[in-house]
Amino acid sequence: MNELIQKAKSLLESDTVQVVIGYGKGSADKTRAIFLTKPEDCDQLLFDSRCVQNLAVYLTKHEIKHLGKPAIVAPIPVLRSILQLAVENQLKESDLVILGVSPESKLIEFDSFGAIELFLNAYKIQIDEKYKATIDKIKAMPVSERFAFWIKELEPCFKCYACRAACPLCYCPKCTVENNQPQWIPAASHLLGNLEWHVMRAMHLAGRCTDCEACYNACPMGIPIHLLTKSMLQDVEEHFGPYGPSVGKRNTLSSFNPDDKESFIR
Amino acid sequence: MSKIGVFICHCGENISATVNCGKVAEVAGKLEGVAYSTDYKYMCSDPGQTIIKQMIKEKGLDGVVVAACSPRMHEPTFRKACSEAGLNPYLCEMANLREHCSWVHDKSDATTQKAIDIVRTLVEKVKHNKPLSTIKVPVTKKALVIGGGIAGIQASLDIANAGHQVVLVEKEPSIGGHMSQLSETFPTLDCSQCILTPRMVEVAQHPNITLMTYAELEKLDGFIGNFKATIRKKAKSIDEKLCTGCGLCTTKCPTKKIPSEFNEGLGFRTAIYVPFPQAVPNKPVIDKLNCQYYLKGKCKVCEKVCPTGAIRFDQEDELVELEVGAVVVATGFNIMTTSEFPEYGYGKYPDVITGLQFERLASASGPTLGEIRRPSDGKIPEKIVFIACAGSRDPAKGKPYCSKICCMYTAKHAMLYQHKVHHGESYVFYMDIRAAGKNYDEFTRRAIVEDKVNYLRGRVSKVYEENGKLIVKGVDTLLNAKPVEIEVDMVVLASAGVANPGSEELAQKMHISYDAYNFFSEAHPKLKPVETNTAGIYLAGACQAPKDIPETVAAASGAAAKVAILFSQNELSREPVVAVVNRSAPPLYSTCVGCFMCATACPYSAIGEEEIKDRKGNVIKKVAKVNPGLCQGCGTCVAFCRSKSIDLDGYTNEQMYSEVMALLNE
Repeated sequence: MNELIQKAKSLLESDTVQVVIGYGKGSADKTRAIFLTKPEDCDQLLFDSRCVQNLAVYLTKHEIKHLGKPAIVAPIPVLRSILQLAVENQLKESDLVILGVSPESKLIEFDSFGAIELFLNAYKIQIDEKYKATIDKIKAMPVSERFAFWIKELEPCFKCYACRAACPLCYCPKCTVENNQPQWIPAASHLLGNLEWHVMRAMHLAGRCTDCEACYNACPMGIPIHLLTKSMLQDVEEHFGPYGPSVGKRNTLSSFNPDDKESFIR
Repeated sequence: MSKIGVFICHCGENISATVNCGKVAEVAGKLEGVAYSTDYKYMCSDPGQTIIKQMIKEKGLDGVVVAACSPRMHEPTFRKACSEAGLNPYLCEMANLREHCSWVHDKSDATTQKAIDIVRTLVEKVKHNKPLSTIKVPVTKKALVIGGGIAGIQASLDIANAGHQVVLVEKEPSIGGHMSQLSETFPTLDCSQCILTPRMVEVAQHPNITLMTYAELEKLDGFIGNFKATIRKKAKSIDEKLCTGCGLCTTKCPTKKIPSEFNEGLGFRTAIYVPFPQAVPNKPVIDKLNCQYYLKGKCKVCEKVCPTGAIRFDQEDELVELEVGAVVVATGFNIMTTSEFPEYGYGKYPDVITGLQFERLASASGPTLGEIRRPSDGKIPEKIVFIACAGSRDPAKGKPYCSKICCMYTAKHAMLYQHKVHHGESYVFYMDIRAAGKNYDEFTRRAIVEDKVNYLRGRVSKVYEENGKLIVKGVDTLLNAKPVEIEVDMVVLASAGVANPGSEELAQKMHISYDAYNFFSEAHPKLKPVETNTAGIYLAGACQAPKDIPETVAAASGAAAKVAILFSQNELSREPVVAVVNRSAPPLYSTCVGCFMCATACPYSAIGEEEIKDRKGNVIKKVAKVNPGLCQGCGTCVAFCRSKSIDLDGYTNEQMYSEVMALLNE
């Protein structure tokens, strides 16, 4: 960890970056995102198994961008998000310094997105068996039962949009739901409105979601919304082949590939 | 408050037979914002249109809904009428009561109710319509013709003679196509090469035609009047400027046993070759797949013998970008090979040949110099069987269609055989004789009556070899379905005409539609036979379906006329139904976040980047920008945009939303 702190310090001291986005001590026994602008504060940085928040979300936030060029502490989920953001033209290599953290908590520096991709090849997105079983169970339900299941699961949602705020890929300055000319997605958190919001959110992440579970972790009501994106991920993989963000590759759902199976059309 | 006029058409009885049009007009008249409503027998007729025009003026209408047929049919008619009365044409909408309602439902109150609902949605939509003006785009007066067979040749010459530039692209080393392989042509028995080769030469010498042989279409972008084509000129491995076409290289090339494509495998060619003596251009290419140098790195005999030093082993494929205004697709057809017929020996009997191979045997330029000799031992066949409908009209072979040309060429083949082998006996097994065409039936009768060809109505079940003879087992259905067994020396299959391999990929490159058999589809089977569904791309010849030479030439001239019509205009008016990226107040400037997924989704490559700058010229933001000239208004980008930053003029989110809500909030 010392390595990380030293690196962060030197980056700030040399003014290579103006802010370091990392994990620090939060309330109770939790960790939280911290934004360090002074070298002497870098001792606050920590990294352990509690650090599950996806820090990549801050890279596109106006308030953080305005602090200057960032360095970001990036365990695997953050690396994936960075790549996906790059695919979507939201990040350039020169925009940030990546302080990669390997699963063994070793500091790895990446000088290019290509290097991240190479590194991530060893850590393909894989959906946990326990989730697979749950998703299969839900998919096996008859339509009416499945509808009832989701209506019930989504009932506690009160549209705090924490899921949206936590997701590194929800970076639109004006979200669909904030469009009221016309208001396609109802803003109210009634049953149908909740369903429409979450289905829309999952659809917007189809072929983009990197399975970091930040949305689920952020949900104050513990709604299993990550099942929707995971299921979508499975579908994308089934129809369009193995999926993972790759710079220079066109987005799965927005591009046509003659090798696509298209079995759902024919 | 809107002042909308609703005009309900009876379409004769097409709508009024099942929909109570009077009732629809009455209910529509009470809708909020509707100032006038009426019904009429033929809204598209002159008196019908006059009602609309009068009411626009009299009532000061600011929106019109014509409830009639599909907008594909009459939207331009009614929009023009509105425009003539001073109303912006894009404030006129059509409610499709015919295809969407009256034709598909029985007469009932529910049908009328559905008609009312459809009208109501359009009334709500038209309230949100905004005046739009047409987009003008220039026309590049240069045509691309793909395929150098007789179709491509004819189309190129016609367009070029109309005074326009043409680029003719042919994938083989020479133009000429299948017609150059034919011996004589029906129904006149004039020599195919004699009528074709002058045309080929004319193409090569025409000042308006640029000929690219050994080249293929790599990519086609753009739209009518403004296509951008990328052509791959395959490396010929020769410098065409230096080559004089002396042919020394082709005589000295040591690789001599390559089956000749031109002779349908019945003769051989060398690795550096000119497909046939009358080829245009008459300059060789090196077939890299068979050349010793490319295979083993040694040889270069051609280089040594070439008197002008024109051989270029290091030549690479070249990609050429062309701007063209129209494309004529004339890629032709192919035929099923004998190996596709298990019942006739899977192609393992050398003396079972296809019609195209027979053409080569009968041709003076063929491997036997026009003598009918069988491929196995070169003997003149004493008895020969022609099997019509080999593959065609056979759902089991996946070709339920009639290949159309076989009845005629089979009669021709039998006739040529009888003319060349006087003592020979010929038999034709046929299903029906389809000889519709000028002098066609007379021609087949002549084969039967004058040339004594034995026509047997029935199918052949099997062909097998026994003691050096081919045994043809068939049935004669006109003789009480009596089984027939004939011992012959040669069998000719009139094998089905099929789409060229690769036509599916080509269609996808050009965004044109194709049928279940990979033949390209015309826009309308009767009224738009040479147009495709993509404006500015036309079809000529057998790439559309098997066609004979006269029909092919007629289609090619038709396509050329369409191109000439297009090129007679300096600019085209385009529907202003295009996507637009929004603008909003600072600090957002646009809700577009610049992910450019719309750009990858756009099938027309119409989306580019735009930099929003401040007064000092600093870039504040990069957003998507739709090129209205390229945009076809398909709406794919609108569906893809997560932040709803793109809207489609004429079909905005607001318009669609109000239509849906009109249906839901009854």
